[in-house]
Amino acid sequence: MIYWGGNPAECHPRHFTKYSLTQKGKFTPNGRKDRTMVLVDIRETPSGKAADVFLQVRPGKDFEVITALRALVKNQPIHPEAIADTGLTLEQLNDLVKMMKEARFGVIFFGMGLSMTRGKHMNSAAILMLAAEMNAFTKFVAMPMRGHGNVTGADVVLRYTTGYPFGVNLCRGYPRFNPGEFSTVDLLVRGDIDACLVLGADPGATMPQPAIDHLAKVPTIVLDPKVTHTSRLARVHITTAVTGVSAGGTAYRMDEIPLPLRPALKSPYPTDEDVVRRIKEAVKRRPAWLPMSKETVIV
Amino acid sequence: MTLTIVKNATCTFCGCVCDDIELHADGVRITETKRACSLGESWFKNHTAERLYPDALIDGHPATVDDAIEAAADYLLDAHMPLVYGLSNVTCEAQREAVHLTELIGGVVDSHTSL
Repeated sequence: MIYWGGNPAECHPRHFTKYSLTQKGKFTPNGRKDRTMVLVDIRETPSGKAADVFLQVRPGKDFEVITALRALVKNQPIHPEAIADTGLTLEQLNDLVKMMKEARFGVIFFGMGLSMTRGKHMNSAAILMLAAEMNAFTKFVAMPMRGHGNVTGADVVLRYTTGYPFGVNLCRGYPRFNPGEFSTVDLLVRGDIDACLVLGADPGATMPQPAIDHLAKVPTIVLDPKVTHTSRLARVHITTAVTGVSAGGTAYRMDEIPLPLRPALKSPYPTDEDVVRRIKEAVKRRPAWLPMSKETVIV
Repeated sequence: MTLTIVKNATCTFCGCVCDDIELHADGVRITETKRACSLGESWFKNHTAERLYPDALIDGHPATVDDAIEAAADYLLDAHMPLVYGLSNVTCEAQREAVHLTELIGGVVDSHTSL
């Protein structure tokens, strides 16, 4: 098990005990004792206590380390100088490759330390390639450590409705996918969009300032259980019930298992689902912007 | 005030989506969260069934949900390139509705994944 650029001990506290590290399985009857855990990060976090091996990479050098690992996996020679500035030695990398090849079932959990730093989706692509290539030797998978509740569900729903997982442009009436062009931060920073519906998110608190400035310029509509930073700069805010606490439905776990929600409270506010459906009905009552059947149903 | 107990409740704070949590609720707030981690506990206890915020706001002023929905529909349909963003703290059912809405308004739909 490799955790790369993540700190599950603090960000996903039950990941070790409920899912990954200490659970006993058919092929791991002794639980923790049957597993080896490697933590790769730029600094030692509380997750390091759980790890057998900790590898400290220099910030921004993840891509170089993964590329070196991919070469070593295929027995390609690597000059020690080539990895000198990654913070790791050739010996450490060779040990890691040996551990990976000896594993009966390997998994790489990668966090935002990998996917949100220099290199971004190139890093994610490299780690997925590494996991794919490891399958020539043993069973190996890679899984992103998802932060927010049902962000995995968003990927799944967008995939089965449009064919693409995120950043889907339906302006021409059919889906187009191009991260970097149709992804939110890029659209906002360039100032491409002229209205925004925000639900289940608070970009006003998390996005770069130029993106927030553009959100404040265009009419923004926010659906949220609380009046958020984004609500304050929005034209319309609608308070909704809290997903999982007072609104039922389905949510996907990060390994793409759909789970039913069992709300414990009754909210005085409508659910997000209800409000989006009502906005949809209101849009349908108006003349369509594109000459097409108003009854087009995609799901 | 009656105590309700929900067994095998699902926590949607982080991507783990733990589904073995026992919640005790008194109708207004959740009082106990068995098996939840510290993050889950604060998530469940932080949200109540109280009416703390106005139903809707238009330009910062309290409004009815119906008016807010009509205003939202106008803004979204008038736009050349509207964006539907977020989708991570909502249910799959709401996400599906959001995709359909995006198709009707001819916009872009995106989630936290792209950040």
